[in-house]
Formats: sequence, C-alpha cells, structure tokens
Amino acid sequence: MTVFVQALILGGLTGGVYALMTSGLTLSFGTMRVINLAQGIFVVLGSYLSYLFFTDVHIDPILSILITAPAMFVLGFVLQTIFLRPIRYNAHSLSLVMTWVMAIGIEGVLSIIFTTNQRSIVTSYANTSWTFGPFEVPAVRVYAFALSIVILAGLYFLLEFSKFGRAVRATSQRESAAKLLGVNTDRVSAVAFGIGCATAAAAGCLYGLIFIFNPNTQYDLIGRLLAIVVLGGLGSYKGAFIGAMTLGICEALVQSFISPQWSDLPFFLILALVLILRPQGLFGLRERGAA
Amino acid sequence: MTRPTLKGRSFTRSSAVLLLSFSALAAYGGVVTSTASASSKPVVVGISLSLSGDFSSTGQAGKLGYELWASQVNAHGGLLGRKVKLIIASDASTPNQAQTNYENFITHDHVTLLAGPYSSLLNLPSAKLANRYHYLFVEGAGNGPAVFGACLPNLVFAGGPASATNAGLVWARYILSLPKSKRPKTAAYPDLNTSFSLGEADAIQKMFQRHGIKTVYHTVYPAETVDLSGVMESVKAADPQMVVSGTQDTDGFAQVKAALDLKFSPKYWFMTNGPENPVQFPATIGKQNVTGFFTTDIWTPTASNPGNPQFVSAYLKKFGGKATTINSTAAETYSVGQAIQFAVKKTHSLTNEKLIRVLHKDSFTTLASGTIHVNKCGEPHGNQNLEEWVNGKIQIVWPKAVSQHAPLIPKPAWKS
Repeated sequence: MTVFVQALILGGLTGGVYALMTSGLTLSFGTMRVINLAQGIFVVLGSYLSYLFFTDVHIDPILSILITAPAMFVLGFVLQTIFLRPIRYNAHSLSLVMTWVMAIGIEGVLSIIFTTNQRSIVTSYANTSWTFGPFEVPAVRVYAFALSIVILAGLYFLLEFSKFGRAVRATSQRESAAKLLGVNTDRVSAVAFGIGCATAAAAGCLYGLIFIFNPNTQYDLIGRLLAIVVLGGLGSYKGAFIGAMTLGICEALVQSFISPQWSDLPFFLILALVLILRPQGLFGLRERGAA
Repeated sequence: MTRPTLKGRSFTRSSAVLLLSFSALAAYGGVVTSTASASSKPVVVGISLSLSGDFSSTGQAGKLGYELWASQVNAHGGLLGRKVKLIIASDASTPNQAQTNYENFITHDHVTLLAGPYSSLLNLPSAKLANRYHYLFVEGAGNGPAVFGACLPNLVFAGGPASATNAGLVWARYILSLPKSKRPKTAAYPDLNTSFSLGEADAIQKMFQRHGIKTVYHTVYPAETVDLSGVMESVKAADPQMVVSGTQDTDGFAQVKAALDLKFSPKYWFMTNGPENPVQFPATIGKQNVTGFFTTDIWTPTASNPGNPQFVSAYLKKFGGKATTINSTAAETYSVGQAIQFAVKKTHSLTNEKLIRVLHKDSFTTLASGTIHVNKCGEPHGNQNLEEWVNGKIQIVWPKAVSQHAPLIPKPAWKS
C-alpha cells in the first residue's frame, strides 16, 4: 500500500509538469492547426536558460521564469512569423516539417554551445523531501506541480475571459469567420505560438529541476507530449491535463508494481483504446464531415 | 604505291625511341610518384563516436583521447613515417549509424585502419562489420559479455585489463574481504538493459549469492527510461543494505536523484558506470552527495599507471581544464591508439592481418590497461581497481597495493 500511494504521489506530481509542457502544443494546434514538433526542444531550451541563470548569474531557477518566459515568448513570436506564417495558407501540410526543422536547428545550436553533457539544475532545495508518515514528497516536484497549476489556470483565464482569448477561440473554431469579424488571425496565431513557447520556458525550468537533460532530451519528450495531446484531444486543455496525469501515474505505478520494461505500455494501451472508441480523444471535438 | 623513304624510316624509328623513352620515364616517374605518394599519404584512421545521443558525454571525451594520441604520434614522425589522420563520424549513439559509418570508412573512404566507438552496444556490430572486411578492430570502451562472446578474430579490447563480466568482481572481492560483521547481508540490483551494465552487475550478483548475500530486489529497465523514481521506490521498499546498480552515465545519475528524493541512502552503493565521470556526476547529483559511491576503473588522473603523468600533462596542455575533470574515456581511447601504434611498430606494417596477429599473440602496454595479453576473442584477463568518491574526488581505494586512499564505509547519509 505504501508503494502504491508513493507511486501515486510521484506520478501525479510529474503529470502536472507534463501538463504544462503540453499546453503549448494544445495552443498551437488550437489556433493554427499546427502540430508543433519543436515543443520538446522549446522545453529543453527553457531548461538551459534557467540553468544558465542559476549557474552564471545565481538567480533561482523558478524566479528566472520571469525572465526566460518573456524571452521565449519573443522567440516564439518571431519563429512563427518567419517560418510558419508564410506557409500557413499555401503549404500548410509543410508546417509539420517546418517545426521539425526548427527543432533540429535549435538542438544543433544547443549542442554546440553546451555540448551534449548531461545537466541538472541542482539548487539548495533540489534534494529536499517532506516526510508524511512513510511517504516522501519531494519539494521540487510539489513546487513544480503548484507552479504548473498556477500557469495553466492563468492560461485558462486568459483564454476564457480576455479579449485575446476570445480571438484565439474564434480563430480555433473558424478562422475565416474570425477574419470577417475583424480578428487579425495572423497576429493571434503568432501571439499564441509565443505563449506556447513561454509556457515551455516555465516547463523547462521545472523539468531541469527534477530530471537530467541535454539537447537530445527533446526526442524523449516530444513522443510523450504528442501522445498526451492525442489522448486528451487535440486543442483541449482539459484533455491535455487529464492525459498528462494519466501518463505520469501509469508510468509510476507500472514501474513500481510490474516492471519498468512495461512502464510505457499501459498508457499507450489506453491511448489505443480511446482512439478506437473516440478518435477525437477524450475531450476533443469531432469535426463536421469527419468519418 | 610509294615506298617509305629513308627520311620516313628515320622519323618512324626516332618516334619509336622517343615513345619508348617517354614510356620508360613515365613508368619510372609513376613508380616514384607512387612511392612518394605512399610515404606522403597519411595513415587514415576511421572512428565512429557518439557525439550526440545517450552516450554523447563519453563520446566527446573519447574524441579528445584519440585526438591527443594522433597529435603526439604525428609530433614524433607518425606511423612508419606517415602522418596519422583521423576521420571521425558521429553515430548518434545508435548501432545502425555506427555500422553505416564503418562501412563508409572502408568502402568509400578506404581508410587504412579503424578504431572503436563507445559502448558494447556499438562496438559489437561495428567489429562484426570490420571483420567482414578483415580490418583490425581495436576498441577501448566495449567490454560487455556479448562482445567477447562473439569471439571475433579481429577484435582487441585495449581500454582496460578486464571484461565487464570480470571488471565488477573487484567490488565483490572487496566486500567479501570484509569481516562478516561489516558485510552487507542483503542487496538490490536495479540494472539498465545493456550488455555491459547487465553483464557486470549479473556477475557481481552471482558471486554475492554464492556467498550468502541475499538478493531482495532485482529489476531491469530499458534505456529510454527517464524517470527512475518508481524503480528506486521499489528498491527502497525492499530495504537492502547494499545497492549494486548496473548503469551507464545518465541512468546512474537518475537513480541517485530519485534516491535523494526518496531519502534513501543505502550503506553500500556500487555503480558500474556514472561515478567515474568526474564532472557530471557531482554536477547532476550535487557535489555534497558524492562521497561513498563506488565504481571500478583502472585509471584516475593521479593513478600510477605507466605514462600517466605525461598523458595528463599533455592533455591539459592541449585541451586545458583541470586534471580532476579528465574523463576516463579519454584515457581509454588514447590506449586504443597506443595498442595500434605498438602493433604497427612491431610488424613494421600497416597490413591489417599482420596487426591482428601480433596483437593477439604478444603482450602490450597501454595507459588504461597496463600490460595485458588478450585471448583469441580479444578479451584481456586482468583485474580492475575499485574506486570511490572520497574527499571530493574519485580515488583508487582497493586493492591496497595500488590504493590512493583507504575505502570509506559505510556510505554517509545524504547532505541536503
């Protein structure tokens, strides 16, 4: 029983961080119908930026999000404007390739600057755990989970109650109609992509506190993130959150009780089952005319 | 019909003489040219290294070892008077790419010699490919049981005195040398699923089980596992006195991070790989937490291996940094170069078949292995040293004859 509860605690806390990572994917798909294969490397870039601020400037990595998130927002805005906007209307199917090219390019730059040595952000509280009876709750994972919830909540309020949020939702639902109503959909898409990068910066900081990373980490991440958003439903934030929690908890439980060799299997079995029964994912919307 | 004139005949004869002369000159010139080309052509060595991917940190270190060896050889006239030129291709830590690289080296680049990549996972298929083309394959970082089990006639391991199966037994022998009251009674084995790590950990486990140390937990996890908290949770729940981790670098660091989160600190902790990395191990787990971790190796920057002070000095001169940050993989790949150099000097030849024969027949000395002799499968049968993190650095602690510091047991508790 102890092992079961401990696995739930660790898996659930990790799931929160995965949810934050996938929010950017959900945003870019929702507004641009673009599956952003660069989301994994954006998270890694966020890890490196926080790592730099911590090791060179001695700024706490969580505080450094106040700097790295706006910086990566600008990066995302620029990347979308330069690389994705030109192909949005004429060659939309190339956006998958384009985001992959961005991912490889950023990985290459990071490999040159930082080499491929493994890194981790080791703060004074990195190894602190709180004890509750037989259970250990790592402080870093709690901070990461709490921050993820705060950021996701902020994103939710932004999208639900702000003018910008209405523009994003309008663009997601029907871009042509949104344009007719005066929404600058190109600008909305660029801002949304920028926000996705900014959330990746925050997620990257948290990832770097908990795990070990190097530029190649993006390959581990992108597969998981895509699987999460597909399970939850492309374009659904609630779905992405549920998907992330499912992944985190499944992995932890199977690793502890069955075998780490099988830790990925249950999640993908659930994914397969959901897609057979609900091809649009748990909370995705079925498009009119879809089979 | 006109008959050829005397003038015409002379012209024809002269032309023939001239033509023959030119041909002779051309032939002689060609020979000279060929000879000149052969002696001025470099000895090209093809090497596949993991410059990205899971083994990238050690791959990068391995590159420095090869480059240092090549520069030193060239400073002393090269091999048989010919400069050594390295062609290094990245394999992204994948066996398929490593094989492709070696195929290209042989069939496209027509290299003179080959040298091995990092890890048993890459060395075995690469050596098999090289064997098809009868190329010598000396490697310094792939001593898993599967590598020697293939018994390839062209393979020579020069990166240490022992195979993975035997390398970790120094830990087992050390623990069994302790008085019974100090020996751990239970052990857990969380192992990475690779030939090297499993081979070494399994051999240790078998020896401990024969001597009554009970296995309370054993698991094997795949290489893609990023979060090992579930595994370490199960290890902690089994409450072992000793942990023997069959690891490479990244997962080794991840095991320790998870153990820190769970406040799990066994009295004895041995890892097949991870602690020997002098920079990344303390950087990823916190330098205040490194004390008491054991691993095996034959090389440290201050070890008394023949040629070690010169190697360290040359390394720092070429690459900078501090002696304590030199990764042992650099010493291993340097040793590969030394083995090749010995064979070329002994045979006075660059013919791969001759080099294979001499390396399987004679003993040779390298930085990482000392003086060794390999069997027909390329496997050396010596012993590694036991190393431990003590006083902030990795040191040889056993056997006593070569130790730089006494072993520190039990492992101290974590420092927050």
